[in-house]
Amino acid sequence: MDFPLLTLIVFLPLLGAAAVALLGNARASAGRAVAAFVAVVDLGLVAWLAARFDVAGGMQFAEIAEWVPQAGITYYLAIDGMSLAMVALSALLTLLAIVASWKTDRNPALWFSMLLLLEVGMNGVFVAMDFVLFYVFWELVLVPMYFLIATWGGPRRQYAAVKFFLYTLFGSVFMLVGIIALYLQTGTFGILEMAGAGLDPSFQWWVFAAFFLGFAVKVPVFPLHTWLPDAHVEAPTAASVLLAGVLLKMGSYGFLRISLPILPDAAAEWSTFIAALAAVSIVYGAAVAFAQTDMKKLVAYSSISHMGFVMLGIASMTPEGLNGAVAVMFSHGVVTGMLFFLVGMVYDRTHTRMIAEVSGLSSKVPVAAGLMAFASFASLGLPGLSGFVGEFLSLVGAWGSDIPAGWVIVSVVGVLLAAAYMLWLVQRVVLGTPSDAVARIDDLGAREIAVLVPLVALTLIVGVYWDSLLRFTDPAVRAILVTMGGA
Amino acid sequence: MSMGYVVLIPLLPALAFALLAPLSRRARTRAVPLAVGAVLGSLALSIAAFLAVWPGGHAGEPVWQGVVTIAHIGDRALSLGLQLEPVSAVMLLVVSLVGAAVQVYSLGYMHREERIGWYYAALSLFTAAMLALVLSNNFLGLFMAWEIMGLCSYLLIGFWHEQEPPRLASIKAFLTTKVGDLGFMVALAVIYAEVGAFDFHTVLDHAWTAASATPVALLLLFGAMGKSAQFPLHVWLPDAMAGPTPASALIHAATMVAAGVFLVVRAFPIFEASGVALTVTLWVGLVTALLAGLLAMVQHDIKKVLAYSTISQLGFMFIALGAGGSTAALYHLVTHAYFKSLLFLGAGVIIHAAHTQDMREMGGLAGKLPVTSLAFASGSLALAGIVPFSGFWSKDEILTVLLHEHQYVAFGIALLAALVTAFYVSRLWFRVFTAPPQQAELHEGHRSMLAPMVVLASVTAVLGFFGPTLGGFLGHEIPWPQLATAAISTAAAAAGVALGWWVYGRRTSVVNTQAIKQRFPHAYGVLANKYYFDLTYGYFVVGGYDALTRVLAVFDQRVVDGAVNGTAAAWRRLAGGGWTFDQRVVDGAVNGTAAAWRRLAGGGWTFDQRVVDGAVNGTAAVVKAAGVRVRTLQTGSVRGYQTLVAGAVVLLVIWIFVKGV
Repeated sequence: MDFPLLTLIVFLPLLGAAAVALLGNARASAGRAVAAFVAVVDLGLVAWLAARFDVAGGMQFAEIAEWVPQAGITYYLAIDGMSLAMVALSALLTLLAIVASWKTDRNPALWFSMLLLLEVGMNGVFVAMDFVLFYVFWELVLVPMYFLIATWGGPRRQYAAVKFFLYTLFGSVFMLVGIIALYLQTGTFGILEMAGAGLDPSFQWWVFAAFFLGFAVKVPVFPLHTWLPDAHVEAPTAASVLLAGVLLKMGSYGFLRISLPILPDAAAEWSTFIAALAAVSIVYGAAVAFAQTDMKKLVAYSSISHMGFVMLGIASMTPEGLNGAVAVMFSHGVVTGMLFFLVGMVYDRTHTRMIAEVSGLSSKVPVAAGLMAFASFASLGLPGLSGFVGEFLSLVGAWGSDIPAGWVIVSVVGVLLAAAYMLWLVQRVVLGTPSDAVARIDDLGAREIAVLVPLVALTLIVGVYWDSLLRFTDPAVRAILVTMGGA
Repeated sequence: MSMGYVVLIPLLPALAFALLAPLSRRARTRAVPLAVGAVLGSLALSIAAFLAVWPGGHAGEPVWQGVVTIAHIGDRALSLGLQLEPVSAVMLLVVSLVGAAVQVYSLGYMHREERIGWYYAALSLFTAAMLALVLSNNFLGLFMAWEIMGLCSYLLIGFWHEQEPPRLASIKAFLTTKVGDLGFMVALAVIYAEVGAFDFHTVLDHAWTAASATPVALLLLFGAMGKSAQFPLHVWLPDAMAGPTPASALIHAATMVAAGVFLVVRAFPIFEASGVALTVTLWVGLVTALLAGLLAMVQHDIKKVLAYSTISQLGFMFIALGAGGSTAALYHLVTHAYFKSLLFLGAGVIIHAAHTQDMREMGGLAGKLPVTSLAFASGSLALAGIVPFSGFWSKDEILTVLLHEHQYVAFGIALLAALVTAFYVSRLWFRVFTAPPQQAELHEGHRSMLAPMVVLASVTAVLGFFGPTLGGFLGHEIPWPQLATAAISTAAAAAGVALGWWVYGRRTSVVNTQAIKQRFPHAYGVLANKYYFDLTYGYFVVGGYDALTRVLAVFDQRVVDGAVNGTAAAWRRLAGGGWTFDQRVVDGAVNGTAAAWRRLAGGGWTFDQRVVDGAVNGTAAVVKAAGVRVRTLQTGSVRGYQTLVAGAVVLLVIWIFVKGV
């Protein structure tokens, strides 16, 4: 067996988490240094893997070992271009979250170990190719995120954390039912083995419904989204970044990795319904975002809108649409991560997230203001920045698919509405004359700029040279479409 | 000869932006010459590129192409590419010359501004995007440049964002043009679904039928209407005048607003295949040209007059397009770019000198600002359509196309719009330059501001003589004006100018415009309220959306999330009830059984004592008692035995009857 690179990428943060926890709060500065080191090494390993990755090679770096042979459960890790994009996002955002929360002084040992534990779950979900393993990682993610929100969150943190936990658990119970149903039907837990298995269409329909509930809560799709604004508003900055940046993508990843390849007939039947929900999510999320008075809540609702474009692309089941979906997933992670970091940085200084109390950033803190404007334009889909790539491809894919044109048109209107809420935010927060809360604040420090620069760079690179991302995702989505028997 | 340098034409200003943007404010200010150098470099290279196409240029294969593939999707590839051919060569000269003029002019105009570095950065990015747009060889690249120009327009309109009006104007401009952009975006999706590619060559060579072309053309037209401020998407352009005047000259007069026209020129074969789309284009242009011209007559802000004039002139270009004269449209685009940017730059000098934009507070500038007056006169005459200034020739070409296509109604409306144009131009001229002076101290602009104006004024004065040459270069004939149409259009222009002079120009008896307004209150009200477009949009669209989002936000919290919390609460209540149930019923059953058992057992003890044991004891007692009684039977008394036997017989008889034996 080759060098177990994926195992290392997934479980190295677990070692780190244990080390940070053992060092304890008494040696917290050593602990966070270990955390940062582990996150850097992990990202380095992902980069190394990416460098050795064969874009035309499909699933690779596979590691298969017996786990519970009696039940057909294996320890099966493997990665393709789509998973790689997600793991890269996870590893990068974890590192940046650690750096951004460097100054955490309340129970830092637990904080940094929870961030690393979260990374274990996130990385694991995207490379696990056995359903049981996948489910373990899926549920593992809930635990550290629960503690991150419940311990370091805002005033209503308990409510938000429990809501997040239970809502997701509610969905994953259905997913578990789906997994068991598939197992009973096929006698395996192998995700890749089941792809294109040609299951009975009416059986597919029910299993699809079960998985749909599990994934749609996570994405989230309207009307299963209301845990998200609460979780985001109460979560500490770093948790918000990872929640929006990576956790939401687990849902859409599930659709792409499981629902489409394993249940293609059901997917075709469900596509118009999903497209309709996507279009509603896009417009509804954007409209509700417009009315928000809290910056974090605005960004949270914008996530619902953006994830709608992911679902639209998925529903199209065309190469353009699926590439677009993954591109939105990646770009949303980068851009919304940037926005949450910035909102957090402004909050650290002004101690408010209320839009009405923060204005005129550009004349007091031009660097923060400039980056916020940049992130806003990336978020509203300005061509040349990453947000446009996925949005555009999703729309083009949806138009070229069987999705009724009306839903595509509704989705396009979302592009205008995104510009409306984002510019209206910029208008009030970035521009104008400084408010009292802004009057005596300092601009971003070197550490904060260092957190944002990689995200700015990725936004530009992906936005200008789409293939920097699509060369990884395109073969992966084409493989998915092939197993579906389509394109 | 290697033509690779064409890439540098948009790249130089783009690099200037990339260099300036991350700098601090102070460093940016010092780097301003870099931006100016970059655009001058682009101008030089544009001239070189133009000469490389000249004179053999005809609308055939591009002289040079450069393509970069940015995305592979399935077996399709998406590319961005530049191409040099006659149309892009002509546009390069327009954009880089006006761009350079504006940047040089801004050195003087903006030199007091603290954020001049940012101004130059945004201007550079805009110039880069516009140059990329005119060079683009495909619709996707054109769209991307188009959107980036929209960003720059937003940034420059809102340059003085500390004040409310520029802030609002910038967002209004971005969103209104974005409404049109949705059409463009859907058009791209339709094109991709139909053709599977975005490059002009493949798309335009596609076998478009009227049925397939009409939706695409109309969607593209909608996008063009947003960018080129055509009715009813024109409302953003007058407000955009809140930005710095030189930026208005470049973006909101000469180049970006003409991008819509340029888009239709590029997609013209699709429009021709549609037919319907051409008619729509024609009428959009006619309505816009006339209505915007009428609005220009009642504006007092000099920049607003020019803004409405721009909308109206863009309308003329749409008229030309709609009538099938894409070259006439392009011709007018070129002449208009030069003379309108000239007028804006002139307005900038005037505003600086008079410290106001209100024409009622101006007057007598002709003597005080000699160079500006002369330059402005050149631009005004061109706009009014007076021979030999450039506007005359291109407008005449549009009228000729209308006549040639037998569009007589359209010809009449266009002619009326031309008359209106001449009227508002002369109104502006006489009010600003020859009316009695309102101010004593008036200073001519700095040399750096005047020099670009002189260049543009000279171009405006002579450009018309090159019309046929230009037509030959573009591969479409632009004939010399025919005497008849020239006479008609000149008559209309002269009538407009004369009317303007009669109302505003005479020193002796100025017409009481107040009386005219009072005599036609309704008509004036409609004009003064800009046909109620802004009010309607503001109230219904913006206000309506604002209200809707508030309702939805409450809906989200109360209903959607309420359902979640309600379920949770219901569950809790149920669980609470369950606890009670568990305690009362389930456990109660157990306890009840136990209690029952106990009671039963208690009863059992009694039963045992009373019944079972009682039975035993009772039997004994009965036997004992029976023994006593029986003993009494054996008394030996016959009467006693008789009674006993009789009783037994009666019982036997009854038993027999009952049993029915």
